[in-house]
Amino acid sequence: MFSVIIYGRNDSHGYNLHKRAAISFNALAEVMSDPDDEILFVDYNTPDDHPTFPEAIHDTLTEKAKKHMRILRVRPEQHAHLKSKTHLVALESQSRNVALRRSNPRNRWILYTNTDMLLVSRNPKESLSEILGSVPDGFYQIPRFELPEMLWEAAFDRRDPAGNLAKLRDWSVRFHLNQIVHNYMPMKYDALGDFQAVLREDMFAIHGFDETMILGWHCDSNLAARMALYRGRVDTLIDKAFGYHCDHTRVAAANNKGRKTRMNDHDKYIWDVTTPYLPAQAESWGWPDLEIEEIRLDRETSYERFTKGLSQVMPPSPVPFTSTSIEWHLFDDLSYDLNHTLPFACDQVLTYPRDTNIMVVASRPDFLSRFAGAWRGMGFSGSILVPSESAMTIDDPSIEQGKFAEQLRKTDLFVFEFGLISQKLEDPVRTGREINAADKRQLKLVEKLFREAASTEGDTRPVGRRTPRRFIGVNVIYNKYWPVFTDYVGANINPFCSQVLAGLPLPPESKTDKIFKFRKRA
Amino acid sequence: MSKPGLLQSVIANIAAPWRRPPSTWNAGELESPDPERRGRSLFRLARTKMREGDIDEALRLFDQALEALPDFADAVAIKAELLDMKGRSEEAVPFYERSRRLWAEQRAGAPDRSYVFRQHGRFTFEVEAYELALARIRTGSFPLFACGNALLAQGHAVEALLCYERAQKLRPDNLDIKAMRGEALSLQGRFKDAVEAFDQALAALPKAPETLNGRAIANAALGRLEAANADWRRQLELLPAHQSDARGYVALRLADYALALPALEDAARRHPEDAYLQLYRLLAARRLDPAHRAEAAAEPRDWPEALMAFHAGGLTADGILERAGTPDRQAEAAFHFGIAALGTDREAAVRHFREVVQSGRAALVEYGAARNELLRL
Repeated sequence: MFSVIIYGRNDSHGYNLHKRAAISFNALAEVMSDPDDEILFVDYNTPDDHPTFPEAIHDTLTEKAKKHMRILRVRPEQHAHLKSKTHLVALESQSRNVALRRSNPRNRWILYTNTDMLLVSRNPKESLSEILGSVPDGFYQIPRFELPEMLWEAAFDRRDPAGNLAKLRDWSVRFHLNQIVHNYMPMKYDALGDFQAVLREDMFAIHGFDETMILGWHCDSNLAARMALYRGRVDTLIDKAFGYHCDHTRVAAANNKGRKTRMNDHDKYIWDVTTPYLPAQAESWGWPDLEIEEIRLDRETSYERFTKGLSQVMPPSPVPFTSTSIEWHLFDDLSYDLNHTLPFACDQVLTYPRDTNIMVVASRPDFLSRFAGAWRGMGFSGSILVPSESAMTIDDPSIEQGKFAEQLRKTDLFVFEFGLISQKLEDPVRTGREINAADKRQLKLVEKLFREAASTEGDTRPVGRRTPRRFIGVNVIYNKYWPVFTDYVGANINPFCSQVLAGLPLPPESKTDKIFKFRKRA
Repeated sequence: MSKPGLLQSVIANIAAPWRRPPSTWNAGELESPDPERRGRSLFRLARTKMREGDIDEALRLFDQALEALPDFADAVAIKAELLDMKGRSEEAVPFYERSRRLWAEQRAGAPDRSYVFRQHGRFTFEVEAYELALARIRTGSFPLFACGNALLAQGHAVEALLCYERAQKLRPDNLDIKAMRGEALSLQGRFKDAVEAFDQALAALPKAPETLNGRAIANAALGRLEAANADWRRQLELLPAHQSDARGYVALRLADYALALPALEDAARRHPEDAYLQLYRLLAARRLDPAHRAEAAAEPRDWPEALMAFHAGGLTADGILERAGTPDRQAEAAFHFGIAALGTDREAAVRHFREVVQSGRAALVEYGAARNELLRL
């Protein structure tokens, strides 16, 4: 019957976002009763190495919310062409249009709201699906009622949406919450963007939200103005449902700078609107030709993929624990426990697109073969690129060997592994092992390729790519490859136990920096 | 004047428009013998009382407005909201439902025309709301434009044109306002001026399907069928496949039934509640195959089901004419008689099609189709 469209990213937008959003997702699912109903969450511009926002809070969501939710992930690379034009990191019009384009065509209605809203049907026996199924075609809004922060934070149980909605029915009377704030037409109400129900067919006819609105605010008013023209009227569903907003003004959100807030031009997008249509974006709204990843919380979850990938390449540990050491005299020992390290390496790649092409330059053949097995097991379809210059030959048809310079142009993500070619899986770890000539030769190759890849990253990106590529270093903590890796890559300080660092390439050093560094050394 | 006094006067000036009836409100109409004028006037006075906070008086006036105009959906909706606000929610429920039903029952206009003509209703609330906004928003064209649209949708072309012209003064280069001026002029029968306005809009934005349709209708009214057909064909090129209802209507205006039939079949499947789509689907099928007959209700409830019954042989031409109580219906009926006569009596068909062209509005689908039929005959 209806597709709810909401958007956000895995960050901390406003006070206690995680609780607000979980309450809202679960409450939205609770008022759905049609199997076609869906919650379309557009995860916009979350960094590639992070999971999407709903994945990050999945344990707080009900099974019903997980079943109805479809996550559409818009990658930073897909946002890159707009980055210089806006101060915002998540764009409302683009997000909502991406979802609209990909919404269930069987659904008659699109409901635009936000991740902090709870919708309460006035007749407790009536679902929102039934409500929307019973009303004639139109453009419907409801007023937004505010919920004091203390109430939702202190009294709501994230995983009890029915209980939360019952509490709201009680509080609305007890605390006089239900105050309608009228507004000029075409807005009709204040904060109108928290409930705008539009026919899917109408949204397609008017070409979605206006994608030139990239400075934040007023997207809802613009839609109201255009729909008021298109339909002639703005109708209400106040007799059917109330909408409550989890107030979150203790901490200002990133797009709220008080009187200094930058926003879309109020006059241009509301008071000078003279057509419902947007002919300039008629063919392009919602990025119809772009492949947008879809993620589900009720199937093929990240955890399931991770487990599947690793279980294919390593058995469970036969012992209660193993050991290693960071004592100073072991600094030059480059041995490490592959079975222990591999999960941390896989953790770094799991959130990337499945068609990612990854370059793996390794010293240890068993690292390459196991990583390749896990990569496929985790459901990646992109190639594993191994430069022939790395002198690593593995009998694995899924590995693509080729010239380093050519492969650089195809690579989306890099892994450089600094282990010992001589180390076998069962060998002891960090016991003062010495490096032999073969180890030295191989490490030298890996280091050379790493320096070249990292220092030329900006010049060797695949055609059309705008965002920098991430480098993952394996076995680069508390050994001589830590400074090598971090000279080129902006990585955090990580615990030794994971053996893995990752980050984006650092910008080339300026002359001043070099002189300053030299003087400091002197 | 003391400081508080000055402040009070400023606040009073800001709040005044809310409490005053709109400037276009005419108290004399409260006593008008015309229920339409009286009902609308009562509605606007009731809205003013609402804004003053006098809910009981507002309810009384809305009741009076509904006595004058029982199908006044805007008044029914606001009455429901007022009852609800007073805690009489159960009493309000049937009024909410009734207002939606009243709006839904109004026939939507032709899907190939400007969106404005697809809206029907009194729009009293909207006109009043936009006039209120105009008291504060003096440089924005939206309230004037939206007000013009609401008036145009009700057929008040002269008043609509005034709104568009005021909006055009604020935004002289705005193409949407120019196009809508063309529609207002066309509705007044000023077809030459309308074509001129449409020409200006289309010169800068040629890919505007609804504006092309507006110009085509004005040109058809002027007898320039070739120019009209060129615009309708261009509109067809621009309309996406999923707008099959609009495509079907344009093809009908061109009397291109082979093109119209599949589009109308698709549209009728998607909108089974739209009786005109069902009728036009049947019409196109019958025009392509004179032997084609459709099933129709034995006792057709209303227009246009009566025309379907005519095609199915369930109603005679006289029976149709008895039910064709408006000039538009008479023109529609004449066209269907013409289609039915084509196979057997060419002269009668020509006579019927001429009747459509002579007495029908140019905006009717049947008008364009009749002109094209005559061209072939």
